[in-house]
Amino acid sequence: MAQRYSGEKSFSTLFLVLLLILTCGVFMNLKIITDRIMRKKVPGSSIIYLPKGEYLKFATFGYSSLLADMIYLWAIQYYSDYTIPDSSQYLDHIFTIISELDPQYFDAYDVGAFIAAYEAQDLDLALKILNLGLEKIPQEWWFPYIAAHYLQFIKKDHEMAQEYYKKAMSIEGCPPIVRRLYADAIFKTTDYQAAWQAWLEIYNTAEDERIKRVASNHLYNVKATMDIEMLKEAIAKYREKYGRNPADLSKLVYAGFLKSVPKDLDDKEYFYDAQTGEVKTPTIPWKR
Amino acid sequence: MKIRAIAFNTFKEAIRDRILYLILFFAVVCIGFSRLLAILTVGDRVKIIKDVGLASLSLFGALMAIMIGTGLVYKEIEKKTIYTLLSKPIHRFQFLLGKFFGLVLTLFIMLLLMSIIFLGLVFFHTFKVEWHLLIAIFFIFLELCLITSVALLFSCFSTPILSSLFTLAFYLIGHTAWGLEILIKKIKSGFGKALAQILYHFLPDLENFNFKTEIVHNLPIPPKIFLYSILYGVFYTLFVLTLAVLIFRKRDFI
Repeated sequence: MAQRYSGEKSFSTLFLVLLLILTCGVFMNLKIITDRIMRKKVPGSSIIYLPKGEYLKFATFGYSSLLADMIYLWAIQYYSDYTIPDSSQYLDHIFTIISELDPQYFDAYDVGAFIAAYEAQDLDLALKILNLGLEKIPQEWWFPYIAAHYLQFIKKDHEMAQEYYKKAMSIEGCPPIVRRLYADAIFKTTDYQAAWQAWLEIYNTAEDERIKRVASNHLYNVKATMDIEMLKEAIAKYREKYGRNPADLSKLVYAGFLKSVPKDLDDKEYFYDAQTGEVKTPTIPWKR
Repeated sequence: MKIRAIAFNTFKEAIRDRILYLILFFAVVCIGFSRLLAILTVGDRVKIIKDVGLASLSLFGALMAIMIGTGLVYKEIEKKTIYTLLSKPIHRFQFLLGKFFGLVLTLFIMLLLMSIIFLGLVFFHTFKVEWHLLIAIFFIFLELCLITSVALLFSCFSTPILSSLFTLAFYLIGHTAWGLEILIKKIKSGFGKALAQILYHFLPDLENFNFKTEIVHNLPIPPKIFLYSILYGVFYTLFVLTLAVLIFRKRDFI
């Protein structure tokens, strides 16, 4: 009797173990199948109902930095998912929340602005995020610097870029490269006299030879640009009067359009093509 | 028959539990509170009511399953009533299944009560019975069945407090395990990735029962997912119950 009971028990245990393995296999397979079925999502549904950071802060019980970290980590995953339509629509909202939860969170401003500038292609929003960063962390030169960088190289707004470079330069710890970019932004606005002054100052205060050489090349470029513009203007006047290009640049002096023929910073003459009227530098400024 | 008798007794015992009515009270208050929240919003008020209502059904239902389920077997052992029960010609699996179905019946009644109040509140705003909300409620019920089986499993070998914590952890893991998918994508091939993949497929995915957003926004749902989600729930519950039976059989009460 006891033997029969023991046998029945072993059999039922075996049955239960087999059932356990079978059900486990089935639900794991069902998981794979359900994962393959695409379910519709409301665009941005996971973030649009997040309240403002100032209210959310009350619900964090003192762990606002932790929540900011969580939202930031999640936001990076969210914005790197290209299948979500109009994912950039709530970019402003989400990074404002992070800044309100943890105002000193440097990466959130930096990465938020990066996503806005390159992914969403909304430069105004990128500037808004960086301005917010500067407001919350005023000792951080990086925000005005990167704002100027976006303005100069993406928007090509060199005048506004100058303003941001100035802000960055006024903050302690700002690296010397910002001054050089500032001088370059001035050059791009075609204010050559101011660009010359800026590069000259960099040249005179440079602490190492490499920077001195870089500044010298820029000074060469600024002078050459000014000279070539002046020469082209004189050539145009000459052509208007005589109906042809001058045979050489000295003819401009004889005709009274120039006081003297300018030379480059290395005291070399500019190349002049009488056929086309084109004037070029004798050397490439960056290969001097 | 034996399972049915235990189930009805469990149901009678569960509905006598005061904590059940306390949770039901808070659930009803929460559903009612959605009306207040809706006043604060700008735009679609009914959406807020549906969201808060369905969330209340799901959260308080899970709380009921955890609070009552985790004490089911433990109480019988502690009060020594299990000796009387098991001395009768009842298999241990019948005892456990009876307990499970008894609690499922209790939860069904509670969910029905909450759903009537919720649908009534929605009707008060839209003047039509939104039957499609029942789909979301049905899957909430499936989720509750799975949570009940897990509570029962822990109740077989642990104290009610620990069992509650374990079941709550199961619930939280079930709703966040989808995050492992992101981790799998980021991990390079190797042991870590294989482990993450096994965990991803083994851990419960309670999001398979979450159709709240789709239902509230009237989004199209692929019909196939209903069937597979039901099967997933049934087989996962069966797996947990089998495990509970195996553990319970090993316990020595004499």
